Amino acid sequence: MFDFSTITQWVDELLRSFLPHAAATLVEFILIGLCLLVGYAVIALVLIYVERKVCAFFQCRIGPNRVGPYGTIQSVADMIKMLTKEIIDINHIDRFLFNLAPFVVIIASVLAFGCIPFAKGLHVIDFNVGIFFLIAVSSIGIVGILLAGWASNNKYSLIGAMRSGAQMISYELSIGLSILTVVVFTGSMQLSTIVEGQADGWLLFRGHIPACIAFIVYIIAGTAETNRGPFDLPEADSELTAGYHTEYSGMHFGFFYLAEYLNMFVVASVASTLFLGGWMPLHIPGWESFNQIMDYIPSIFWFFGKTAVVIFIIMWFKWTFPRLRIDQLLRLEWRYLLPINLINLFLMVIIVVFKLHF
Amino acid sequence: MKSIIRYITSFFKGLFSLLTGMKVTLREFFTKKTTEQYPENRATLKMFDRFRGELVMPHDENNHHKCIACGICEMNCPNGTIKITSEFVTDEAGKKKKVLVKYRYDLGSCMFCQLCVKMCPQQAIEFRPTFEHAVYTRGKLVKYLHDETIENGKGETRAAGI
Amino acid sequence: MLVDKIKNIAPEAEIDENGILTVTVEPAKYRELALRLKEERDLSFDFMICMTGMDWGDSLGVINLLQSTVHEHKLFLKTFTTDRENPELPTVSDIWATANLNEREVYDFLGIRFINHPDMRRLFLRNDWIGYPLRKDYDANPEINPVPLESEETLDATSTFEINPKDGEISEKENILFEENEYVVNIGPQHPATHGVLRFRVSLEGEIVKKVDVNCGYIHRGIEKLCESLTYPQTLALTDRLDYLAAHQNRHALCMCIEEALGLEIPERVKYIRTIMDELNRLSSHLLFWSCLCMDMGALTAFFYGFRDREKVLDIMEETTGGRLIQNYNVIGGVMADIHPNLIKRIKEFVKYLPPMIKEYHDVFTGNVIAQQRLKGVGILKKEDAISYGASGPTGRACGWSCDVRKHTPYGAYDKVDFKEILHSEGDSFARYMVRMEEILESLHILEQLVDNIPAGDYAVKTKPLIKLPEGHYFKSVEASRGEFGVYLESRGDKYPYRVKFRSPCLPLVSIVDLITKGGKIADLIAIGGTLDYVVPDIDR
Repeated sequence: MFDFSTITQWVDELLRSFLPHAAATLVEFILIGLCLLVGYAVIALVLIYVERKVCAFFQCRIGPNRVGPYGTIQSVADMIKMLTKEIIDINHIDRFLFNLAPFVVIIASVLAFGCIPFAKGLHVIDFNVGIFFLIAVSSIGIVGILLAGWASNNKYSLIGAMRSGAQMISYELSIGLSILTVVVFTGSMQLSTIVEGQADGWLLFRGHIPACIAFIVYIIAGTAETNRGPFDLPEADSELTAGYHTEYSGMHFGFFYLAEYLNMFVVASVASTLFLGGWMPLHIPGWESFNQIMDYIPSIFWFFGKTAVVIFIIMWFKWTFPRLRIDQLLRLEWRYLLPINLINLFLMVIIVVFKLHF
Repeated sequence: MKSIIRYITSFFKGLFSLLTGMKVTLREFFTKKTTEQYPENRATLKMFDRFRGELVMPHDENNHHKCIACGICEMNCPNGTIKITSEFVTDEAGKKKKVLVKYRYDLGSCMFCQLCVKMCPQQAIEFRPTFEHAVYTRGKLVKYLHDETIENGKGETRAAGI
Repeated sequence: MLVDKIKNIAPEAEIDENGILTVTVEPAKYRELALRLKEERDLSFDFMICMTGMDWGDSLGVINLLQSTVHEHKLFLKTFTTDRENPELPTVSDIWATANLNEREVYDFLGIRFINHPDMRRLFLRNDWIGYPLRKDYDANPEINPVPLESEETLDATSTFEINPKDGEISEKENILFEENEYVVNIGPQHPATHGVLRFRVSLEGEIVKKVDVNCGYIHRGIEKLCESLTYPQTLALTDRLDYLAAHQNRHALCMCIEEALGLEIPERVKYIRTIMDELNRLSSHLLFWSCLCMDMGALTAFFYGFRDREKVLDIMEETTGGRLIQNYNVIGGVMADIHPNLIKRIKEFVKYLPPMIKEYHDVFTGNVIAQQRLKGVGILKKEDAISYGASGPTGRACGWSCDVRKHTPYGAYDKVDFKEILHSEGDSFARYMVRMEEILESLHILEQLVDNIPAGDYAVKTKPLIKLPEGHYFKSVEASRGEFGVYLESRGDKYPYRVKFRSPCLPLVSIVDLITKGGKIADLIAIGGTLDYVVPDIDR
C-alpha cells in the first residue's frame, strides 16, 4: 500500500538540504497551510455541486446542468460571483464583532479539517489526543454563530443564534459520548492508532451492537452540529428568513456557507475514521487474497469513498425530513439520544472488559 | 413500566416512520426526472391551442384583414388595452365606409379576459398560443395588428413607422 | 314565522320578504336586535357570512348577511345613518367575532366609525389615506393621495370610540397594542412563510408567541371599487385575481349571482362542466396546500412531489380553458368554450394516477414523526370560535362545523353526485391537514362520477350584449378551496353594478391567527399559517 509519508519526507529532506532548520520548518508550515486551504476550497466546491445534484435527484429534477458538462463548473461560477459581490455596509451593528464572526466560524472549521487523516501518511499532525483536539476546535464555531447573531442587531438573527447555542451545546454531549464509546473500544485518542486498530475489521463490525448505535447517534448529532436539515433551526428559512446570517452579504456570507459544507465534510470524515476504518481498506480476517486485492486500492480513495457515503446519508436526511421544532430538538437529545448513549457506553465497556467483540 | 414501554414503542415507531420517508425519497432518486429542458426542447414544446399568449389579427396572403373598425373590442376591454384609429373613406359606389387605420394592442396591460375576441362580430381577432414575450422595455410590448408587415416588438415608435 | 319572531323583537323594523329576508333597523335598535338574533334559541343566527358597508347616496350603513348553523336560515340585517360627516354605528364585533376585521374594513372604505369597537384602525389602506374610497362622492384625484415614497409609520396603539351614556358625547380612548419593551418581530410583508405580502407583527417571549397583530393591505387592489365602473362581463375577469388558487370557483359564484338576478336558466351541460372545473381547481389548490405546508415545515423535497402532480391538473385545465392559474372560463350564461375532446380521457387517467401518489405523500410526510408532532395539538380552534369568526371551509370542518356549501345549498351538479363532507373534530393543525388530504380523494370521487355523464347540450346560453341587472340585491356563494366564497351584489338597474362585495374566505382565516397561536412557538405560527392556507390577494382584494 502506498504511503504518503514518503512524499512528505522527500519534501522535508529536500528543503532541509539547502535551508537552515528554522526556515525549512517555516516553509513547510506555509506549504501545509496552502495545501489545506486549497483542499478546503476544492472540497467545498465539490460538495456544493454534489449537494445540488443529490437534492435535485431526490426532487425529480436534474439540478445544475448549464455551466460546463452536467453543470460541473456551476459552483466555480458561484464562487466567482460570491467573491465579487459587494459586502453591504449595515448601520447600527457592532462592526468589529460583525466582521469577526465569519472568520471565527471558518477558522474553527479549518482547524478541525486540519486534523483529519486523509490517507496513509497524509496527516498534518498526529496528536496523542487527536480526537479530543478535534472536538475542542469544532465547537469554537458556535462562538462565531452567536457573535454573528448578536452583532447583526437583527431580531431574526438573534433568535437564530440563540437556537443555535441551545442546539450545539446539547448535541455536543452526544457527539462526545459516542466518540467516547470508540475511545473505550480502541483504547486510544490518537487518530492514527484508531485507524490502525481497524486493520482487521472496521469498528462498525468489530464492535457490533454498541458500535452501530454509537455510529447512528454520531450521525444524528453530527448533522445537528452542522446545522443541517432537519436540524437547520438556526437558519430555518421559512421561519427566520436566514437566521444568524440574515444580514451578511458577499464573501462574509460565503464564509458561513463554506463552513457549513466543510463542517459536514468534517463530521462525515470523522464518522468514517472512527467507525468505518478511515483510510483503512476493507479487511476480512482469514481472507488473505481478498485483503491483498483491497490493499491495491489507494488509501485516499478508501477515505473519500467512505466519507462520500456518509455525506450522502446526511444529505438524504436533509432532503427527506421536515424541520424539527426547538422543543422537539431538545427532547430528542435529552430524552432519547443522551440516555441511549449512556447505556451504550456502559454496554461497550462490558463488551471490552469481557472481550465479546470480534 | 407502562411509560417505559410507551417510551420504547414511540421511539421505534418514530424511527420506522422516518425510514418509510427515506425509502420514498430514495425511490424517487432513481426514477425518471420530470424537468423540461426549455430552450433545448423548443421544437417539441407545444402549448395547448386554447392557451392565450397574445392577441393577433390574422391576415390573408394579400395582407387583408377582416376588421371593420367597429370599436366593439375597444369598448369591451376592461383595461383600455386596445386603441383603434379609424377613418371614413368613400368607395367607388360613393358609400361612406369606416376603415381601420391603426390597431394598437398593448400586451403589457392585457389581462387575457377574451372579451374582445368573444364580442368581435367579424372574428377578425384571435389569441395565439405564443409565449416567448420577454422584452427589455414595456414599450416593446405595444403591438400594431392592422398590418402584418409591421415588425412588432421593436419599440412603440419604430413599430408604428413614425 | 321567522318574520313574526323578528316583528316580536323589533316591531318598528322594516321587513322585506323578497328573496332572502331583509330586516332594516335604526342604529339605536341595531345592537339589541343583533344580540337577540344571535342569542334566541329558535333564531340563533350565529354565523355572520358577510358584512357589507354601503353608501346608498343619502345614507351610509352596513348590510350583514347572517345565517344560523342550527336552523340553516338566512337573513340580511341592515342599518344606516344619514350623518355623512360623522357617521357612527354601534359595533357588533363582540357578538360575531368576524365583525371585528369587517368593521375595520367598513371604516376604512366608508368612514363609518363603530362605537365600542376595540380596534378602530384602517385595515387595508394607509393610515394617512385621505378620503373613503367606496363612498360615491369619493374624489379619486391622484393629487389628493399621491403615490407615497415613505413607508408608513407603524402604530403601536389603536383607538376605541366610546359613547358617554349620560350626554351621548363620543370620546376616543387609546388602546395599547404593543408595549415599549416588547420583543416585536415582523413576520412579513416579505417573508417566505406568509405566502404573499401579509404582515404579522408578532410579540415574542423567547420562542413563545404572545400576541399576533395582522396588518393587511399590501396587495389591496380595490377590486370592489373597480367593479363599480365595469360592466358585468368585465367584472368577471377580476374575480380570477382574488384567490388565484380558486379562480374558477370565484368566477362561478359571480356568474351564478348575475344569472340568478337575470333569471337565466342554465343548461345542465354547463352545470356539469362548471362542477368538474371547480373540483379540478380544488385539487390543484389542495395539492399546492400540501406542497407549501411541507415547504414551510422544511420538507423541501415533498414540495416538489406535490408540484409534480399539480402540474398534471393544471395541464388538464389548461387544455380546456386556456389558462393555468387564471382560467377565465365561466361566462354569464355558460362557459367560454366547450370542453376539449381530450378532457374526459385525461381526467380518467388522472383519477387513476393520483391515489398512489397520495399514498406517497402520506409515507413521506403525514406519517413522519416530526411532522405529526409539529401538527398534532397545535393551533386548536374550537367549533364555536370557528363559527363566530366565520372560518369556514376545511378549517371549519376540521373542528366539526359542517359548513360545506356544496352540501347545504347545492349548486352546479353537486346535488347529482354522491360525496362525503369530510368532518374532523379535533380542530388542530393536523385535523385541518387531514381534511384537505381526504378532500382530495373526495374530489377525485366526484370527478369520477361526473366525467362520464356530462349531458349533451349547449355550453352557453345566449345573453344580450348589454347586460343590465334588475334593481335589488343578490347574494350567492360557493364552496371555494378554502372556504365559503360569496358575492353580494347590489344593482340599481344600470349596466354597472352599484356595489359588489366579495365575501373572501381568507379574511376570517387570518383573523383567527392571533387566537390560535397565542402561547405557541414561532415554528407553530408557521405551521398554523400553513394549515390555514390563506391566500393573501383574497384577503386584501
